[in-house]
Amino acid sequence: MPIADHKKCTGCRICEIICSIQHHKEMNPKLAMVRINSNWPWEDKVIICRQCKKPKCVEACEYEAIERVDGCLRIDEDKCTACLECVKACPFEGVVVSEITGKPIFCDTCNEEYLCVKWCPHQVLSKT
Amino acid sequence: MSNKKYFGYAGKILTVDLSSSDYVVKDTPFDLIVNFMGGKGFGAKILYDELKPGCDPLSEENIMVVATGPLTGTLMPASGHITLSTKSPLTGIWLDSHCAGFLGPELKMAGYDAIIIKGKAKKPTVLVIKDDGVSFEDGRDIWGKFTFESQELLRKKYGENCQFMCIGPAGERKARFANIVSGGRGFGRGGSGAVMGSKNLKAVVVKGTRGIGIYDLDGFMRICTEAYNELTVSPDTGGGRPKYGTNSIYSFMIEAGAHPIKNFQTGVFKAVKECNEDVLDKKYYKRHIACFSCPINCSKASRVDDGKYKGKFTEGPEYENMWSLGAQCGNSNIGSIIYGEHLCDEYGLDAISTGNVIGFTMECFEKGILSEKQIGFPTNFGNDDAIIKFIKMMAKGEGVGELMSQGVRQMSKELGKGTEKFAMHVKGMEIPAYDPRGAFGMGLAYATSDRGACHLRAWTLGDEILDVRDRMDPFATEFKAELVKNQQDFFAVIQSAVVCLFLNFGLTQRHITRCLQSLTGIKEWKTTEDILKIGERIYNLTRLFSMREGISAKDDTLPQRLLREPTKEGPTKGVVVDLDTMLKEYYLIRHWDREGRPAKEKLIELGLDKYKV
Ligand code: SF4
Ligand code: SF4
Ligand code: SF4
Repeated sequence: MPIADHKKCTGCRICEIICSIQHHKEMNPKLAMVRINSNWPWEDKVIICRQCKKPKCVEACEYEAIERVDGCLRIDEDKCTACLECVKACPFEGVVVSEITGKPIFCDTCNEEYLCVKWCPHQVLSKT
Repeated sequence: MSNKKYFGYAGKILTVDLSSSDYVVKDTPFDLIVNFMGGKGFGAKILYDELKPGCDPLSEENIMVVATGPLTGTLMPASGHITLSTKSPLTGIWLDSHCAGFLGPELKMAGYDAIIIKGKAKKPTVLVIKDDGVSFEDGRDIWGKFTFESQELLRKKYGENCQFMCIGPAGERKARFANIVSGGRGFGRGGSGAVMGSKNLKAVVVKGTRGIGIYDLDGFMRICTEAYNELTVSPDTGGGRPKYGTNSIYSFMIEAGAHPIKNFQTGVFKAVKECNEDVLDKKYYKRHIACFSCPINCSKASRVDDGKYKGKFTEGPEYENMWSLGAQCGNSNIGSIIYGEHLCDEYGLDAISTGNVIGFTMECFEKGILSEKQIGFPTNFGNDDAIIKFIKMMAKGEGVGELMSQGVRQMSKELGKGTEKFAMHVKGMEIPAYDPRGAFGMGLAYATSDRGACHLRAWTLGDEILDVRDRMDPFATEFKAELVKNQQDFFAVIQSAVVCLFLNFGLTQRHITRCLQSLTGIKEWKTTEDILKIGERIYNLTRLFSMREGISAKDDTLPQRLLREPTKEGPTKGVVVDLDTMLKEYYLIRHWDREGRPAKEKLIELGLDKYKV
């Protein structure tokens, strides 16, 4: 599961770009399942789900919109009401909220290929 | 969804008229793409066709073209840049200015290859560009505010992850070298911030969610992978630059006598022991910052931990500003440079011109041309308090600051008394951080740069100073014309593609060409020669633009100090620049006549024959 060492992150967004290519065959950071939040100039923070064994986000979701498919959490967009209770519940600030749908998106590990981990130039991301 | 018509492009150009609060969206014409690529090329073509010759750069007739290129916002490394072209209020000629960071990708995600901004708003305005539309909003509440504060307020209002173009108080009052800030970066040189101010445009907010399509996905991934690997193994982009930022060359330039000291009076900087890239790295750099898709992360967050400037910070300081607010003013107090750079960004002033003008003013003071009474305080070289005061005075137009903010050319014109000999500018643009007496190529580069003295149209220092294996003689004229011409054409490509110029230190022209091909699939771009032809076309068109504004061969020159006044000490002792020899050869290679006009045959070859010389 991907975890991030924020201190080393430079904010380059290569992880976002490669994620969108992998899943959508186009370059669009806004579709990425990983997100960089900038607190200029002191910090760039990586938001990514680490796929907890006992996920607090699932517990928090009243609508049972977060389900596990092939070992990875996934959002059921029909059930999700964008209440974002999961965002509050996640102890790791790991929920990426799509700017397009307003609903959460979870990292699917690229079928355990972890392209963001591979492409990050500074080894910020690693899998556990 | 990404645009499928032209891969790599957003496919639309937005034209905004601030006078009527109207806008139109049109398809990006294919012949514009094929012949001018994007960025600077789009700017050159659009401005040459649409700008009224002789117009006042600060009138509503002036036009700003803010343009991305095909590579902007892609996986190609260092693709976060964007270009702004306009007529410069500092020089009165062609200006293209480039901004790093994240604005370029965001504009493309909002669905536009370029925005053309015309007219003048009746009151302070914020232009908001999002996926779903364009709006003209009241900017009165942030008018007068600093750039960083303004951006914070705009972020609160328009949401996280917006990108901005924003001017500060200096741009609002049309200081001739006001800049435009975007995040912690900016469009630095030539006064584009004053043009925005003259249009009553306080800020542009951009936010988008569209993607960029790829023609040959496998090919593009292959070349990008290769490019990242190349950048990692290059000693520059994989070594010095990530660690020290643009200051990786600082000590080398000092050693070569190519770092101008005290307004180019000498090439010897005695304070280098306390002021160099190692001190910066150990004491001030707190973290690395990268632009969009950049593994090089040349940018740093710096903070002063003790002393007079404790707590001051900046994203930087860049090599150029380490010089302009440092050695150029005989100043080695890094804290003051960090604070000074931050102030320049906050007020919205180009820090290179700012420092150049301060150094000039200090020399005028020491020579008795400007008195303490006229200035208000003593201002010898090395006085860091004076530097900080001058920045604020220029931004606000207070006292002598008003004259200073018109640039060194205008200032020396008003002062007279032989000051033009050491007013360090070309065509009105202040000279940046390299002394051509330590590297002749930079003399030719400054003299022939299309926007006036600039180090980013050709940068010969790599070949003349840094290249240890295959170094050119920095004091020879031989081969410099060819080097400068080739770089100008290739840099025009990079600035139209639009990616970061620093790719040049790790990648080849072939990399860029292959990347363009696999991304766009444009059949006309077969070889590197085809690509370089576009660069040459653009460089000739910007020349024609400036000639139309009155530039001729006599302006392709350098200040007297560099041509007639040898330095008295150090590695450049006794040297002056032999510009004439290089310039003659340069015109010959360019197929420009003795008056510096592109020859008819050249224009026909480049498809520019309908443009008059
Ligand atoms: S979103 Fe947070 S709580 Fe839910 S699985 Fe991911 S890391 Fe765990
Ligand atoms: S690729 Fe790595 S360094 Fe770049 S933004 Fe992502 S986590 Fe940070
Ligand atoms: S090299 Fe520096 S300026 Fe260029 S893209 Fe990278 S971080 Fe930005």
